[in-house]
Amino acid sequence: MVNGTSTPSAPTAFLGQPRPVVAPLLERAADLAIAQVLDADGVPNGNLAEPDLSQAQLRTMYETMALVRVIDEKGWQLQRSGRLEFWIPSRGQEAAHVASALAMDAADWIFLADREPGAMLLRGASLQSLFAQFFGRADEPLKGRRLPLLLGDRALNIIPCMTQVGAYLPHAAGAAWAAKLKGDKTRFIVYFGDGATSRGEFHSAMNFAGIHRPPIVFFCQNNGWAVSTPTDRQTAADSFAEKGDAYKVRNLRVDGNDPLAVFAATKEALACTDEQGATLIEAVTYRLGFHTSSDNPDLYRQPEEVAAWERWDPLPRMRKYLQACGYWDERAEAQMQQRCEDEVREAVTAAEAMAPSEPAAMFDDVFAEPTWQLREQRERLLAELETELETELETGA
Amino acid sequence: MTQMTVLEALGAAMAHEMARDSDVVILGEDVGTAGGIFRTTQGLQQRFGPDRVIDTPLDEKGIAAHAVGMALYGLRPIAEIQFSGFIHDAFEQLMFGATKYRWMTGGQYSVPMVIRAPSFGGINGGFWHSQSPEAYYCHGGGMKIVVPSTPQDAYGLLLAAIRDPDPTLVLEPVPLYRTLRGEVNDDGEAIGIGEAAIVRPGNDLTALSYGPMCHDVLAVAEQMAENPGYDIEVIDLRSLMPFDVDAITASVQRTGRLVVVHEAPLSLGFGAELAATVQERAFGYLHCPIGRVAAPDLPYGFSGGDEYYRPNKARIAAAIRRAMEFDF
Ligand SMILES: Cc1ncc(C[n+]2csc(CCOP(=O)(O)OP(=O)(O)O)c2C)c(N)n1
Repeated sequence: MVNGTSTPSAPTAFLGQPRPVVAPLLERAADLAIAQVLDADGVPNGNLAEPDLSQAQLRTMYETMALVRVIDEKGWQLQRSGRLEFWIPSRGQEAAHVASALAMDAADWIFLADREPGAMLLRGASLQSLFAQFFGRADEPLKGRRLPLLLGDRALNIIPCMTQVGAYLPHAAGAAWAAKLKGDKTRFIVYFGDGATSRGEFHSAMNFAGIHRPPIVFFCQNNGWAVSTPTDRQTAADSFAEKGDAYKVRNLRVDGNDPLAVFAATKEALACTDEQGATLIEAVTYRLGFHTSSDNPDLYRQPEEVAAWERWDPLPRMRKYLQACGYWDERAEAQMQQRCEDEVREAVTAAEAMAPSEPAAMFDDVFAEPTWQLREQRERLLAELETELETELETGA
Repeated sequence: MTQMTVLEALGAAMAHEMARDSDVVILGEDVGTAGGIFRTTQGLQQRFGPDRVIDTPLDEKGIAAHAVGMALYGLRPIAEIQFSGFIHDAFEQLMFGATKYRWMTGGQYSVPMVIRAPSFGGINGGFWHSQSPEAYYCHGGGMKIVVPSTPQDAYGLLLAAIRDPDPTLVLEPVPLYRTLRGEVNDDGEAIGIGEAAIVRPGNDLTALSYGPMCHDVLAVAEQMAENPGYDIEVIDLRSLMPFDVDAITASVQRTGRLVVVHEAPLSLGFGAELAATVQERAFGYLHCPIGRVAAPDLPYGFSGGDEYYRPNKARIAAAIRRAMEFDF
């Protein structure tokens, strides 16, 4: 099966009790106070007004989402064919992160989780630099030190995530507080999943944010699952948003597969940072793909559930909206798809040809200046490499 | 030069840096209005305001983690952990957050933060109030660790920690906080991280320690000096990561004998690292096995049991005698 495309194959066997299929929460958006602009077919029928976006902005939104999907499909293929060590799919979550990142200014800081490559693209990262990160090349902003999709670049004001789920939430809140103390206008957004809300740091950050009111958007992508753990095993609360209540942190639920609603909610959250400080946004979305390339969702979720969410896929939804506005047609779609695929293919070729890191480079950046221990250990590695080279030359190996 | 206790010297260092650099902030439990439970930060909130001396909720991982974020944005936070027995809630934040950002971002970001942790036993404070957590935080890369044992070192090492571009853990000697008073040159001069102090030069044996134990080691060395052939060199490491390998090696190559003293448990304690490093560099100079004096591998003492748990002068003297009398 390919990365969540259409209906997955029927599960062979569940490893535990099969879970009942849960209908998409978005079907009951009004009842569940989930803010929505578009209905499933992209018609503005929701409980939230359309945000004020130009044609160019709307197209950027859609085209970035579409490019993210092409990147995701390419990455998946590369991983399955052994060219990438790992992959973290973003399929289904394009609207949530692209529309929220688009609501931020370039000077605002973004703390990423790991399913948001579109945020990098919106800030101007090249496709080649993204694939260079996926391939762990030396000449990418993070020097090839992180797993694919743990993206970031200081030049873009984007901080890569600490891999411990949720542990970085207070880093974002602390940084936001620092900006406020310094009198800067910088605002912050931090992405995380539903699973992250169970970590102690979620509590720490909410508690701090309620007291000190830093200018930050806590953006929770509730994608239904944390690996194989469904949301009702993550919390007994009715929503993730309502957790903000106890901390007096402004909070709301939004349809995470509705880019217009996500954009509007994020803009509004940013508009009230001066008075309210933080907002916790729960974007209700769904992970259409695997948790990671090491996962097999057939072992814990039913194909019917995925199929029901396919109907809320943010891409066709946004496309239909654009078409109805007269901003898009089949030709534009075909051209864009072709362009995305060409650009991605070229980026892969270019990035794969880039050099990997020198082994001794792993000793850099532990401290600003290496300790004597690190200098010695580095020398030892260099000597080892030299001996290997000599042996190779001698034996002709 | 001013007469100060260790506590006063720490407070003076923070006040000096806060006045000099508006990016320096303090956060921790009870650090503001109360001036900290030990009064280390006394008067600082009055002077610098509640935005720079922040009373936090009771949440060690939160204190460490928010300090990480502040440092990422360019502040120089000093995070106070009320007692080092409670620091481990922040372990992941320190060892997989603060200390990893520089590396994991290819050098793009740094975390210039200080963690102050009142440490060590001898106050009959029981388990949580008497911890020596250094070994955990020396392991795994990215943390610097300093341990002052005099008012001057408290002042100079805390200044160095605040100015350092990387996360630095300051293990403060609780038992000496108020009991030790001394001259402090408080003109803003930092002490280099990684520089040991030879507190008593000698020729026959090197005794290595850090923190409050240094004073016991020095007292034993002075007492034993009456015996011929017992001219003991006492070195206060002051920094554990990195430690002053050159000073130690030079000393042991001269004396040929080494005894390491710390009050953390023996197994995998910092003494093990010191012993291993010295034997690699001075094997041919050694007249005897390297001795270690440490606490047993137990939970810290029991109420009133400090004197059996911590290394004491008798145990230090016995280890020195064993080294001196060793016969192959
Ligand atoms: C602290 C921690 N525990 C476990 C893991 C392993 N792990 C990686 S992702 C993940 C699930 C995360 O779920 P969620 O926060 O909902 O985000 P999602 O992956 O669904 O986007 C787990 C358990 C981890 N990285 N960090």
